[in-house]
Amino acid sequence: MFPWVYEFRWTTGHLLFLGIFFSVLLTIGLTVVRAAWKTYRDFQDQKQEHLSWKADFEDLSPLARSCRHEISGKVRRRSCPNEFDCRVCANHRVTAGRLPSAGPPARRGADAGFCGLDVPLDRLYHRGHTWVKEEREGVYLIGLDDFASRLIGPPDQVDLPAPGTRLQANGKGWRMRRQSTIVRILSPLDGEVIGQGGAQQGWYLKVRADSRGNKMDHLLRGEEVRSWVLRELERLQMALATDGVGMSLADGGELVYDVTLQDPHADWDSVLGEMFLQA
Amino acid sequence: MEQKNKARYGMVVDLDRCTGCGNCMMACAVENNLAPAEKKANDRTGITWMRVYAMNNGKAFPAAETVFVPMACQQCDKETPCIAVCPQNAVDRDPGSGIVGQVPQRCLGCRYCMTACPYHARYFNWSDPSWPAGMEKALNPDVAPRMRGVAEKCNFCHGRWHAARARAAAQGRSEPDPADYIPACVESCPSRAILFGNLDDAGSEVAKACQEGNCFRFLARLDTESKVYYRSAKPWVREMAEGNRMPSGKDGNLS
Amino acid sequence: MIEQTLPRLPVESAPAHTIRDWKAMEKKWIPRGLPRCSPGRFYAWLAPWLLLLAIGAYAMYLCFAEGLQHTNMDNRFAFGLWIYLDLTVIALGAGAFFTGFLFYILRWKEMTAVINAAVVLGFICYSSAIAILLVDIGQPLRAWFTFWHPNVHSMLTEVTFCLSCYLTVLAIEYLPVLLKNRKLRQVPLFLVFEYELHRVMPVLAGVGTFLSFFHQGSLGGLYGVLHGRPFAFREALGIWPTTFFLFILSAAAAGPSFVLLMARLTQFLSRKQLVRAEVFAQLGKVSGTLLLFYVLLKTLDTMLWINRIYPQTGFSPYSFYAEPSFGTWVLLLEIIGLGLVPALFLVNPRMREKPWVLTLMAFLACSGVAFNRFVMTVQTLALPTLPFDRFLRYVPSWQEVAAFLAVLAYGVLLYSFSFRYATLFPQERDLRNQ
Repeated sequence: MFPWVYEFRWTTGHLLFLGIFFSVLLTIGLTVVRAAWKTYRDFQDQKQEHLSWKADFEDLSPLARSCRHEISGKVRRRSCPNEFDCRVCANHRVTAGRLPSAGPPARRGADAGFCGLDVPLDRLYHRGHTWVKEEREGVYLIGLDDFASRLIGPPDQVDLPAPGTRLQANGKGWRMRRQSTIVRILSPLDGEVIGQGGAQQGWYLKVRADSRGNKMDHLLRGEEVRSWVLRELERLQMALATDGVGMSLADGGELVYDVTLQDPHADWDSVLGEMFLQA
Repeated sequence: MEQKNKARYGMVVDLDRCTGCGNCMMACAVENNLAPAEKKANDRTGITWMRVYAMNNGKAFPAAETVFVPMACQQCDKETPCIAVCPQNAVDRDPGSGIVGQVPQRCLGCRYCMTACPYHARYFNWSDPSWPAGMEKALNPDVAPRMRGVAEKCNFCHGRWHAARARAAAQGRSEPDPADYIPACVESCPSRAILFGNLDDAGSEVAKACQEGNCFRFLARLDTESKVYYRSAKPWVREMAEGNRMPSGKDGNLS
Repeated sequence: MIEQTLPRLPVESAPAHTIRDWKAMEKKWIPRGLPRCSPGRFYAWLAPWLLLLAIGAYAMYLCFAEGLQHTNMDNRFAFGLWIYLDLTVIALGAGAFFTGFLFYILRWKEMTAVINAAVVLGFICYSSAIAILLVDIGQPLRAWFTFWHPNVHSMLTEVTFCLSCYLTVLAIEYLPVLLKNRKLRQVPLFLVFEYELHRVMPVLAGVGTFLSFFHQGSLGGLYGVLHGRPFAFREALGIWPTTFFLFILSAAAAGPSFVLLMARLTQFLSRKQLVRAEVFAQLGKVSGTLLLFYVLLKTLDTMLWINRIYPQTGFSPYSFYAEPSFGTWVLLLEIIGLGLVPALFLVNPRMREKPWVLTLMAFLACSGVAFNRFVMTVQTLALPTLPFDRFLRYVPSWQEVAAFLAVLAYGVLLYSFSFRYATLFPQERDLRNQ
């Protein structure tokens, strides 16, 4: 094994065999140490939220991972390769550049109702069912959209991050509990929490956004929001069907408030996980 | 690394002289501290470094003939099967004497060497060796008893080899006198069927004997260059021994 | 005292007081969206295997405490059921390295459907092989001696080194599967480490492939180098006997078949579709092609063996097959019945489309490799070498069988746990939605 161990011989066979053995051992060891070191670095660089989301994203169902431009019918089948971060997506720049809808959010109008849901277009939407609305320069309100509020119903508990906490887009925003189901809500933007709201206020977090360029590019806006809501209703229907919930949203039916109450024995854990992009 | 042998010890066993009395087996067991067989041991689990087998020519009376074959480790010289396979160098061949030795303290009991040996000369300690009360006083102090779970085999009485070397050293010689080193089985054979000595010493009795025409080795065609020769005047014995197996079904018994 | 307006979430850490609470908690460990049976049924399924494990553990204890006298092995039949079992599970466990090779090195994306299952199966096979080896050797506490003064010319040294290295690799490959468990992944450290491990996985898959080549080969070499045993001995190509290469090839052929078979068995037992039919067909195709190649080489090797090694060693060609229980049918069954037949069926695209044909042929391919290992271990030892020897018989003792069953039970338990609490078949959720 080692030259100082009795019966070690300096023969070609020994050198070759032990050389290969130690190389293999070294490779395995270095690989694991590298993974551990990178993990340490990721935590140093505050990348854990991003990487967790990346890992979660891989485990989402293919339908949940569709590109926003596929949903709005601008492109044919495309699965998002950037974990919903359109800010780094070259395809998005190309596709969105051609679109007229890439302007500033529209004003809240009378057409806010859509499929029985309240979907005002004066704000931006995140794929994890939160909306972002500018309160004043650089300060944004974050809330649950109507779809999500109806799904969860009145939360039994809300675990909001304390003011001062840094949020990362697609990272963990806050957690809500309804009966025994805990839902993790994704943060729609990068920034620092400066205020806490609640279900009564209509918004949950007040956030001072990081001043980086094109920071809102990953959020849904304008017309595409509606096609996305349609897609989400479709996904919900599918989740309800496969998870044996004894009900379905008939065509034209409206999503009632607090769906959870309708069937307490159903697998809400699974349905909510699917809709809130949890792995 | 592989240095030239100073000596190459070997045996010539005269099968025509062997009466199958089993004295060699007894002497071997006493010399080498082989524990008495366990109650449930049989001919396949007991330990006998030296074992006398019976070999017959498979013919019916009156042509039936049987010889007894004392068989211990054949001390293979070339590509010794058990040495090559041992994963942790627990079997070695002493370049000074050509004797294939076993290091029981290093053996981990994988039994690969036993699979490799075509002569079935290797034995395994299937249970803890134990001696009846009082018998431990009869143990040979020159040979360490082996523990459970290791392989062992004949090593031409290495206790005697070491004793002979010690005596030679005391007399100021580097090599022992051949007459001073005789394994227990050789010594105990009442019909003097076993010759022992240095095969490389052209003048020795054993070197001359192994050159004779009726001398042969078991399974010679497996090319193991064993150092235990046999001799017999009967042609069928030589023919069978060298590896030409007779058709199955008419073979002899384990003694 | 100011009342805390925003209560923490106590639910997850609250101790379970009732069976219902416990059930709800247990459910949180199961991957989301994968229906699994009730915990009661699950633990009832485990009970008989736990019993087998306990009996086996007692048998192993007997061997540790009182030596191998509890086995029916003897000085002549020095290898028995356990070594046979080792060779077989390691050959079948080759599915792990070969699927990993296809997925990470050749980048066959469709293998993602079975890679986790293959890794878990590989880990089970290799860990049980090492466990049973430790019982099999007479002095388990000296197992490390091989590392300390290795005889680099021994095939067993190569096997020991590769096996322990590869088990380490498999354990590292298994880790991400566990860390991705629904509950464990909530710990950010685990998920990030899993992510980083996943990124270096191709390196480990490469190392695993390299190690597998060597130890599968060395296990074949184990018998091929026995020049004292003409039945097993084969001439060398380079420094390795031909069995070295045949074992690599047959293990690589059987591995995908075994993964296929186990996935099918899981589908059957869980009454769910877990893997797309194309992936099964792909596995069958790989397995069949390699098997065909193997059968070709094995035939060639057998011809050379009969015509060159037999005459050289002075053993008549028929003496090995003259015994009543091991006639020439052994050779025919091994090469044709369990080699050529499944190979031909598996390379035929039309036959692969029929699920039951695919499953049956994968089973035959696995049995073929198991049978080859049986012949190499048992027939080699049963055949006499000395002219006055007899053909030997060996029947394993209950302790040997119990240890064997315990290893099987360990495999079933680990596999069941992995299937319940980890995602072994990533396509399961999509297939459910269709």
